Amino acid sequence: MNIGKSVVIKGDLTGSEDLTIEGQVEGKIELRQNILTIGANGKIKASIFAKAVIVQGEVVGDITASERVDIRDAGSVDGDLSAPRIAIADGAHFRGSIDMQRQGGKAPDVRPTDTKPADVKPAPVPAPAATATAAR
Amino acid sequence: MPAEFLVSSFFKWGGRKDDGPSASPVTAATEPLTQSKVLPKVLATLSHVQSPMLMDLGPVVGSNISFFGEHLGCKILVEDMFAEVESHAKAGTRDALAVDLVARLKREPASIDGVFCWDLFDYLDRLSSQALAAHLVKLLRPGGVLYGFFGSTPADLAYYTRFTVEAPDAMRLRQAPATPTRRNVLVTRDINKMFVGLDVKESVLLKSNARETLFRKPS
Repeated sequence: MNIGKSVVIKGDLTGSEDLTIEGQVEGKIELRQNILTIGANGKIKASIFAKAVIVQGEVVGDITASERVDIRDAGSVDGDLSAPRIAIADGAHFRGSIDMQRQGGKAPDVRPTDTKPADVKPAPVPAPAATATAAR
Repeated sequence: MPAEFLVSSFFKWGGRKDDGPSASPVTAATEPLTQSKVLPKVLATLSHVQSPMLMDLGPVVGSNISFFGEHLGCKILVEDMFAEVESHAKAGTRDALAVDLVARLKREPASIDGVFCWDLFDYLDRLSSQALAAHLVKLLRPGGVLYGFFGSTPADLAYYTRFTVEAPDAMRLRQAPATPTRRNVLVTRDINKMFVGLDVKESVLLKSNARETLFRKPS
């Protein structure tokens, strides 16, 4: 599942399949059982909750993953990371805090906080499994 | 004569003779390991703390995050102060660095268990050094530790160094180009006096003439 680079989403993005974002998202992203990839063109201003998160683009916001966070060499994150496994490549930008747990420890709590309703523009995202809950 | 030889000869000719490996852009495989006698003591001290809060003032190094996370089960704050140093070096405003450095570290007093300064103080002027040191002392919890690495040779630093922890007692120092900054050479007495309120627990002069120092805030 892909969100193309011309797509701008403001609001909550939830789903139950792996997702790659090349566009812009502002709000909250929840893929609790799936892998979220922020592509090289992706620009995210959102709290992210997922099983695993791969960052090749830009993220401003906190990332919570139940398995791992992987910031690739061109990736940029301004926000706090929480995951049992975190990889940050040389050349990646990161500013924030990192919370890792000892192996065998309790998995991070991935409960999201309450958020406001959202709006999507310019058009609905073609999302059979991932759904953008939106309203303006 | 092969081009590779010419290039490598050029970099050797321009390389530094002390305080660490050559400034040439070498690959990780060719960089020597720097043995550390202080780092094991930092880790040993922090291992007694439940989920310690660390602050890393150097450029983010992914493998260090994994290393500290696995060894200490810690939370790490990454504050790349070299980004501030670089922006001020480019703008020629090194004198104004102190304010920005302290402003960037807005944390609760006594909230940090360990601070990794690496060689940051080499890049600061005296005023900035003193301001930052005083602020870090405030941020440390009683019993908290601070690790510093200080060069001793006057030089223009046209690079910054990534300290990659390879083992509890070994680091690999990898250099990347930066705007030249005059090293702030601190003698041992200056280093020890700069962190008023901390005790010097370990101070080791390396073969490279750099000094590793471990400070601890009294409990």
